[in-house]
Amino acid sequence: MQTTTSSPSRGDVTLAWQATAFSAGPTGPGEHERAETAVRAAYAAAGLAPPERVVWVPSPAHGTIAAALIAGHREALEKAGLQEYTERLAPLIALPGGAGGSVREAVRTLPWEKARTAASSELGPREWAHVWARTGGRLWNQVNDLVDRVRRAIGELAGDDAEATALLRGATLDAVLGQHDAPFLALADHLGRLDGDGHPGDALSAMAEVARNAGWWWPYERIAILSERPAELHRDEPGRLHRGDGPALAYSDGFSLHAWRGMPMQAGFIESLTDLTPARIDAEENAEQRRVMLEIYGYDRYLAETGAKPQQRDSTGVLWRIPVRDDEDVVMVEVVNSTPEPDGSYRTYFLRVPPRTLTARQGVAWTFGLDARDYTPQQQT
Amino acid sequence: MYRQGDILIMPVPEEEVPQAVRDLPPAPRDDRGRMVLALGEATGHAHAIAAPGELLRDSDPLVPDHLHLPSGGRLVHEEHAVISLPKGWFRVVRQREYVPGAIRVVAD
Repeated sequence: MQTTTSSPSRGDVTLAWQATAFSAGPTGPGEHERAETAVRAAYAAAGLAPPERVVWVPSPAHGTIAAALIAGHREALEKAGLQEYTERLAPLIALPGGAGGSVREAVRTLPWEKARTAASSELGPREWAHVWARTGGRLWNQVNDLVDRVRRAIGELAGDDAEATALLRGATLDAVLGQHDAPFLALADHLGRLDGDGHPGDALSAMAEVARNAGWWWPYERIAILSERPAELHRDEPGRLHRGDGPALAYSDGFSLHAWRGMPMQAGFIESLTDLTPARIDAEENAEQRRVMLEIYGYDRYLAETGAKPQQRDSTGVLWRIPVRDDEDVVMVEVVNSTPEPDGSYRTYFLRVPPRTLTARQGVAWTFGLDARDYTPQQQT
Repeated sequence: MYRQGDILIMPVPEEEVPQAVRDLPPAPRDDRGRMVLALGEATGHAHAIAAPGELLRDSDPLVPDHLHLPSGGRLVHEEHAVISLPKGWFRVVRQREYVPGAIRVVAD
C-alpha cells in the first residue's frame, strides 16, 4: 500500500468528501448508471457474481423496509401499520428463489478491514491516529450524527410497536452507507487508495463510486437495493441540521427530519410559531422549546419589547441577561461587526456566553477562550 | 492580536511554538492554493491567506491551530475588510458560543 500521507496537489480531499456526504438533489439517470456500474464492480471485487436486479428506492426508509421484507418480517411490519410500504416494495424485490443472503460483509466490511489493517501497520498506530484525525475524524461527528438521526427516525416509522422498531433499527445496520461512508472514504482517498472518478477498480474504489452517486445501499446475493440521495438538506454555518420553514432533511418520498440549529423538532413546530409574542414564549412549558422560540423571535426584539435593561456595557459591546423560568439565564453579549455592510450600516449580533459572565469584555474574551485582561485586539474587521 | 469576524489571531514568539506543532504536516490548501483558517458551511465564505507559509492543525480539536507566515500575508474574507499580518507565528482561535450543556463554534 502507498504510504504517502499528503498529496498537496490534490487539495483537501476531506472537503470533497464532506460535500459528498451532504449532497442533495435529484438523482439523475447518469448517477443511477454510475452507481449501478460501481455496485457490479464491488461485487466483482469481492469475487461475487453481479446482482441480477438493482432496485432503486427513494429513501433509506424505503430501503430499510425492503431489507426487513427480505429478512422475512412482512407480517411484523404490517402489524405496525407499514403496509403502504410493504405493498409497494414487495413486487420490486420478489425474485423466484429469493434475494439470497446479505453480502455486505464481503462487499464492504472485509475490504475495508483489510485496507485499514494494511495502512495502520504501515503507518504505525500514532501516525494512523493522526491521519484519521486530519481526514475522516473531521467528518465523523457531523456525518455520524446525521446517520444516527436517520436510523432513529426510521425506527419511529413503526410507532410504538417495539418489535417492529427493533427490526427496522436492525435492518438499518445492514446498509452500506453510500454517501455517508464519507469519513472512511476521505481517509482512503487521502492515502491514495482510490482510483480516479468513474473508474471503479478494487472494492474501496467501487464503494467510493457508489458513494458519489447514491445514498444507503443493501447488497444481497441476487439483488442490490439502492437508495437515492436526499432531495433537500439544510444546515447552518457550523454544519448542524437547521431549517425554519420546512424539513431540514427530506427525501423524495416525504421521509424527513426537522431540526433547528441541530436540535430535533416535531414537524410543524417551527412553522406554528408565526404569531409569537413575548407572552407566548414565557408561557411555553418546555424550556428547550422556549429557548428555540426566543431565538426565532429574535433576542433583540424580545429585549426591546420586554423593556430589558442592559446589564453592562464597555468598548467591546453590551451585556444582556434574560431570566428564564426553570432554566439558567440567557446571558448574551451584543457586539457590532467592525466592517460596515454595503449600505454603510453596521450589523450587530448576539453571542450567548456563560451565565456567570459579568461584563461584555469578559463575555467576548470567553468566546475566544481568553480572560478579559488578555483580550486586546489591535485591529478588528 | 487581530480579529476578523469570528477568528482571533494571536502572535506567538517563535520559541514558544511547541516542537509537536512544528512536526505536524501542513493542512492542505484549497483549490485556489489558499490556507483556509475557517470555512462557513452554509455560505462557503472563508477566512483565507494566499501567502507562503503553513497552517498546522493538531488532531486534538481543543488545541488551537498554528499559522506560520515567513513573509507576512493578507487575511481575506468575503464579508470583512482585509487584515495585513506581519511575518511570524500565530495562534488561530475560532469564536465559540455558549450553549447549555455544550460549547459550539460560532457562525460567521
